[in-house]
Amino acid sequence: MHFKTAMLCRIVLLLLWLPGAAQAALNVFACEPEWAALAKELGGERLEIYSATTARQDPHHIQARPSLIARARKADLLICTGAELEVGWLPLLLRKAGNARIQPGKPGHFLAAEHIEMLEVPVKLDRSLGDIHASGNPHIHTDPRNVMRVAKDLHQRLIEIDPDGVEIYTKRFETFGRDWQLAIDRLGKQSASVNDVDVVVHHDYWSYLIKWLNLNRVATLEPVPGVSPSTSHLAEMKQLLKTQPAEMIIDTNYMNNRPAKWLSDQTGIPVVTLPATVDFNNNETLQQWFTSLVDLIKEPTK
Amino acid sequence: MNIEGLDPSILAPAFIAGLVVLMTHIPLGYEVLRRGIIFIDIAVAQIAGLGVIIAYTVGWDEHGLEAQVAAVISALLGAWILSWLERKYGKHQEALIGTSFILAATGGILLLANNPHGGDHLKELLVGQILWVEWEQLFYAAMISICVLLTWVQFRQKIGNLGFYLLFAVAITVSVQLVGVYLVFASLIIPALATIGCSGKSGYGLPVIIGVSGYAAGLVLSALLDLPSGAVIVWTIAISALLIKIAMPVKTE
Repeated sequence: MHFKTAMLCRIVLLLLWLPGAAQAALNVFACEPEWAALAKELGGERLEIYSATTARQDPHHIQARPSLIARARKADLLICTGAELEVGWLPLLLRKAGNARIQPGKPGHFLAAEHIEMLEVPVKLDRSLGDIHASGNPHIHTDPRNVMRVAKDLHQRLIEIDPDGVEIYTKRFETFGRDWQLAIDRLGKQSASVNDVDVVVHHDYWSYLIKWLNLNRVATLEPVPGVSPSTSHLAEMKQLLKTQPAEMIIDTNYMNNRPAKWLSDQTGIPVVTLPATVDFNNNETLQQWFTSLVDLIKEPTK
Repeated sequence: MNIEGLDPSILAPAFIAGLVVLMTHIPLGYEVLRRGIIFIDIAVAQIAGLGVIIAYTVGWDEHGLEAQVAAVISALLGAWILSWLERKYGKHQEALIGTSFILAATGGILLLANNPHGGDHLKELLVGQILWVEWEQLFYAAMISICVLLTWVQFRQKIGNLGFYLLFAVAITVSVQLVGVYLVFASLIIPALATIGCSGKSGYGLPVIIGVSGYAAGLVLSALLDLPSGAVIVWTIAISALLIKIAMPVKTE
C-alpha cells in the first residue's frame, strides 16, 4: 500500500512538472497531416498542433497510444476529415478522451468533409452495397480547391473558438488565400499537358485529384479496397488496356505497391507513386506537396 | 521521453483489462500447453469474427448485442467442432487448428468480396485495442471471466474435453475484444511457458508476477516512449518471463 501511494505521488509530480504549451492559445488535434498543415497556415504560432497520423500511415486504422488520448483530452479544436474515414477509431477516442469541447456538435469538432461537395456518394443506400463510405469518397484533400473551401470555414471556426486571435487569424487567412489561389493557377497551367490523359488507379484514393486535373480514369485496379481483385477483373483490365492503353498507373505510397507493379509488368504502362499527403512532421507545406504531385504526374508524359 | 501519456486515468482501465484477461488465461494457458494446441486462441478468435461477418451478410446489426451473440455462438460451434476433431484425430490437432484458422480467415474475405467498400472494419470488429477499453465493457468482461475461472477451478475434472473447449471459446471471445489477438496469445502462452518447468508448489504465483509486471511495465513504457500499447506489452511480458526464468532455474526433483 505504501509503495502504491508513493508511486501515485511520483506520477502526480511528473504530471505537474509537465511543460505546458504556455505560448499557444489553442490546442489543435488533427486526425490527418493535411489538416494539421492547414491549421498551421491559418494559426501559426497561436496554435499548438498535433497530428494523430503521419504522412505514410493509413488513416483508416490506427494503433492506440497513451499520448493520443492525452492529446485529445487537452484539445480545444479537433480537425478531422469525417465522411467515415476515421470511423474505426475516432468515436472510441472521443469517448475515451471525455473532452466536452471536441464532441460532435460542439464548435471544437470540425469535420472537413462537411464543408465541401463530396464525390462518389452512393445514390442508393443499401446494405448489400456496404455502408462504409455512405457519405462519399473521403480523400477530399487531393484537390487544392477543396483545401481552399475548408480553409475558409476553418478560419471562421478558429475565430469563433478563440475570438482574441481574430486579427492574427484574419491576416493569416488573407495571406494564405492569396498565395493559395496563385498556386492553384500556377499548378493548373503547369499541368495543362496532362489534361484528358488516360490513367489507371489502384483504388479510388485520387478521385478528387483526377477531377481537378481533368484526368480520364479508364480502370480501377482494386475495385473493392483491401480485397485483391478477382482473376476475371484482372483479365478484363488487361484486355481493356491493350485496346485503350493508358499513360500511367497511379499508386499511393502507403499502400501495397504489388498490384500496380503487376499490372505495369503485364502492360508496360509506367507506375506513378504519389505521396498520399503532406509530410507535416518534416515541415513540408501543403503547397510543396501539391507541387510535388503535379511534377510526378507530368513525369510519364514528358 | 513523453510524460503526458503517463496519466493514471488513461492507463488504469487498460491495466485492469490486463488483469481480467490474465485471470482466465494463466490457468487456461497451462491446459493449452499441456494439450499442445497453442494456436487454438487465434483460431477461435477468427471463427468468432467469421460468425459476425456471416450475421452481417444475412442482415444482422454488426454492432451491439446481436454481434456479440453471433460471435459467441460461432465460437462455441467452432470449439465444439475442434473438440470433436481432437477426439477423432488427436495427434493432428495442431494442424487441424491451423487449417480451421485459415478457412475462417479466408471465408470472411470471400463473404465480403462482393461488398463494395468491403466492410473493411468488419474484419477487425472483434479485435480490440487495450487502450480503447471502457469501464462498462470491462465490467461485463470481468463478470464473464470470473464465471469462467470459477467453473474451471471447481469443475475442471468433470467438464471433460468438450467442457474445456467451450469454456475456452467464451474466454477468448471476451478477451480478444478487450485487448486484441496478440495480447491474448501473449497472456495465454508466455507466463505458462516460462513457468511450466518449475515445481508445482509455486502455484500461480510466478506466472501472475510475469503477467502483471508485463502489463504494468508495458503500459508505462508505451506512454513514455509514445508507442502502441498492445505491441509494447507483448514485449514486456516476454522480457519479464525471461527475467523470471533466469532468476528461478528449473527445479529438478
